[in-house]
Amino acid sequence: MTMYNSSVDQRVDAALANNFLRQATRRATDRLRHNKYKATDELGSWEEWRNAGASIRSHVIENLDYYLQQLIQQTEKRGVQVHLAKTPEDAVAVVRDIVQKHDAKNVIKSKSMISEEIYLNHFLQADGVLSVETDLGEYIIQIAGEPPSHIIVPAMHKTRQQVADLFEPIAGHTLSSDTPTLTRFVRVRMREQFLRGDIGITGCNFAVANTGSIVMVTNEGNGRMVSTLPRVQITLMGMERIVPSFRELDVMLNLLARSATGQRLSSYTTILTPPRQSTESDGPEEFHLVILDHNRSEILGDKTFRPALNCIRCGACFNVCPVYRQIGGHAYGSVYSGPIGSVITPLLEKNWEKWGHLPFFSSLCGACSEACPVHIPLHDLLVKLRARKTISGHTPQIEQQIFKAYRYFFTHEKTLRRALRLGSRLQFPFVRNGRITGGPPPLSNWTKSRTLPMVAPKSFMQVWADLKLNRKSSE
Amino acid sequence: MKVSLFATCLTNAFYPGVDLTMAKILKYLGHSVDVPEGQACCGQIAFNSGYIDDAREVARTLIHSFERSEIVVSPSGSCIAMIHHYYPFLFEKEPVYLKKSEELIKKSYEFTQFLVDVLKKPDLGAKYPIKATYHPSCHATRLLGVDEAPYKLLEHVQGLELLPLAEAQLCCGFGGTFSVKMPKISEAMVAEKANHVLASGADLLLGIDMGCLMNIAGYLEKINKPVKTMHIIQLLGEGMKP
Amino acid sequence: MTNANDFISQLASKLGRSTPTVPPPLIDFHVPQYRLSNPGERSTIFLHNWQELGGKGVIVKTEDQTVSCLKEWFGDLPLSWIKDNPQAILAWDSLPTLAETAFSTLNWPLARYTMAAPDPRERYSIAAQAELGITGADWGIALSGTIVTNSSAQRGRAVSLLPPRHLAFIEASKLRDNLSEVLEEVSALGSPPSAIEMISGPSRTSDIEMDLSIGVHGPIEVYVIVIDT
Repeated sequence: MTMYNSSVDQRVDAALANNFLRQATRRATDRLRHNKYKATDELGSWEEWRNAGASIRSHVIENLDYYLQQLIQQTEKRGVQVHLAKTPEDAVAVVRDIVQKHDAKNVIKSKSMISEEIYLNHFLQADGVLSVETDLGEYIIQIAGEPPSHIIVPAMHKTRQQVADLFEPIAGHTLSSDTPTLTRFVRVRMREQFLRGDIGITGCNFAVANTGSIVMVTNEGNGRMVSTLPRVQITLMGMERIVPSFRELDVMLNLLARSATGQRLSSYTTILTPPRQSTESDGPEEFHLVILDHNRSEILGDKTFRPALNCIRCGACFNVCPVYRQIGGHAYGSVYSGPIGSVITPLLEKNWEKWGHLPFFSSLCGACSEACPVHIPLHDLLVKLRARKTISGHTPQIEQQIFKAYRYFFTHEKTLRRALRLGSRLQFPFVRNGRITGGPPPLSNWTKSRTLPMVAPKSFMQVWADLKLNRKSSE
Repeated sequence: MKVSLFATCLTNAFYPGVDLTMAKILKYLGHSVDVPEGQACCGQIAFNSGYIDDAREVARTLIHSFERSEIVVSPSGSCIAMIHHYYPFLFEKEPVYLKKSEELIKKSYEFTQFLVDVLKKPDLGAKYPIKATYHPSCHATRLLGVDEAPYKLLEHVQGLELLPLAEAQLCCGFGGTFSVKMPKISEAMVAEKANHVLASGADLLLGIDMGCLMNIAGYLEKINKPVKTMHIIQLLGEGMKP
Repeated sequence: MTNANDFISQLASKLGRSTPTVPPPLIDFHVPQYRLSNPGERSTIFLHNWQELGGKGVIVKTEDQTVSCLKEWFGDLPLSWIKDNPQAILAWDSLPTLAETAFSTLNWPLARYTMAAPDPRERYSIAAQAELGITGADWGIALSGTIVTNSSAQRGRAVSLLPPRHLAFIEASKLRDNLSEVLEEVSALGSPPSAIEMISGPSRTSDIEMDLSIGVHGPIEVYVIVIDT
């Protein structure tokens, strides 16, 4: 978790100085974006699917109390042990309890953003439990001790050589850095882990309320391993991750696979209605479902930000974001990065000092909102979060003064005219070759990398007033 | 038609020629043009920075200025998008001003949108032989839906060869106060945009928002690779001169 | 841990109401589903999409065709596998008749997964050492080249997962155009089986430098035989 200790500026500087990271981020997001376009174009009716997805998600969120209750009843009826966690600490405690009760030493995990959100590996490792991420990308960043840099491709920022270097101490011999060698190494190594796993921990893409089913999508098949082989399974889910029935699941799976990677369906879509029946040969006998709130209920109660709960974690907003494109995920400092991360992190963590920069990691260009398969108005939410931050008093005094002055001048246009005339005279110390090339902060933030045109000797309002005057006098 | 100009804070201070040319073109097309006093800014700069109370008062001033106007036209998609997209939110708790903002929304247009969609005048008989490329500004395209109109105007400019701009959909990194609040990220963004502009082989960069153009041109000049930059209004104005 | 009633009533209060007792109305939405204009093409399109994903596939009408296709795909390999490991070819308890007879003809002995060992861990390890896992399928989806299998006492989920090769037999009548048709039929089952696996091609990853790599965890080679008698 070292990354979280450096300052925002340090992280941004580090990201911008990392050429491989920037190239890799472009490559990954360009690829994913173009795959998505192909997959959505071929449908020919993407907007209708998006609209359906948005209706479904909004409906679920507006009736989350009912559907969550139904999900709990349906899963418990079949013998699933449901745990409701208000806080990340609660969720961690539940998992540690289960692990200790079974005296489990080997925990195998498939991808779960909730697990990242509650820093589960950190705590399990402290307990002396070997907790292995089995998704290739997650495994790489687990060894590196880093958070995911992309929600779909978490180790996108690593070169193949870096991956080989990370694997070598585990392999005990040198590894060539070609992808097939690295993949084969992981296949062999993970097989042992899969077969040895006492407890499997998975995430949950969707939970089906009326059947009590858990839906997971993976491409590698590790989700199937983790949900098939160990005797005990723990599934972690954010409490908003619900669909009412299979009817809506169809729409959501289509939107997710196409938006995330441009696939029609992911390689493996697994619908579990656990636990295994007594006569069955495979699958967990004991199934725990941990449902996490972590301030999601606060978001639910806040109509302005409620749409943020509609997210299906597809990563489409990452792949169009011009800010993410330049700096990758780590500069954000948060587990969830990209546009959706900038929206939900301040809401989940409720700490403006730590996360107040996130709503400003956006030029408000709106590409994220345009890409979102469930129509979350991400850039609107970002700008509204900025307003929340200001109202909460977490913005600098000087900035508040600047906007007070702005408000005064731009509600007094005649005064503004005079101020501009004055400005056009005072600018000369900063002018070179007819352009402003320097100045005091915050202007200097601009002039470090750009020039600015000169303030016109006469503002347009003045020009127009003078023209009118001339016309009148000539009449 | 009686058209009121909304000059925008940026053009008013830095590029009065853009506003003036817009007035000339509209007059040339036979419309009467006025510039209501008191107008100053749409409020976006404060709104996007999180200062919505300050933004609301500036917006209120703007609403007052155009209360008696029939049609409002502006040389910026971003400013019109601010009105269309966010005024209802700013005044959600003030029914009187909510109604006034809805009236303003109904009668306000970005310049190219007004020419092509309302006046149906994509051809002004302009002539400007040059190789140009066009940067589609984010707010105009994504928030306001002004997508085709600028291209239609450019298609009719004689002699103009429009070259494609790679990754045109990418934001140039301006983002108003974003450019000074996150200067390094903004610089990385404008650097990429500038590279695409240079690679396009164009001798002229066109746009419909002076904010974006000021940003891209300012960067190109800083790295000593200045490219001529014009608002479409300026191009039309020059091209229509006899 | 929070009590369920408290948890739910707190959510309800956030929504400005008391805990609802009646279900919300059905969501009104419409999506244009992919439908083949000519259902006769379903097998071909299914196969095409399956192959696009990197799977091998064929449509057969007779046992002879099945036998010759299996020979073409696997040659004499199965015989050498069996020599080293009698449980190298692992299958569900029962497969479509045409499959069963084809394997008898070929004299490739099928080990039945559920009976391979009494202990689950042992079974998993047997499956992990097998060379080929053979299953049937409950549905196939033409649009996405997907096969869908329900779990049951006679099947075992590891058969399509642990061996490096997976071969599935599917009757053409079980093919559907799109996912929604399959999910509708799943709903009609009442209570779903403990696991429904939808498999679209081999195991894949692009986690290292966005470079596509096949078979990181699940099967490396996947085969499907569509039975159209």
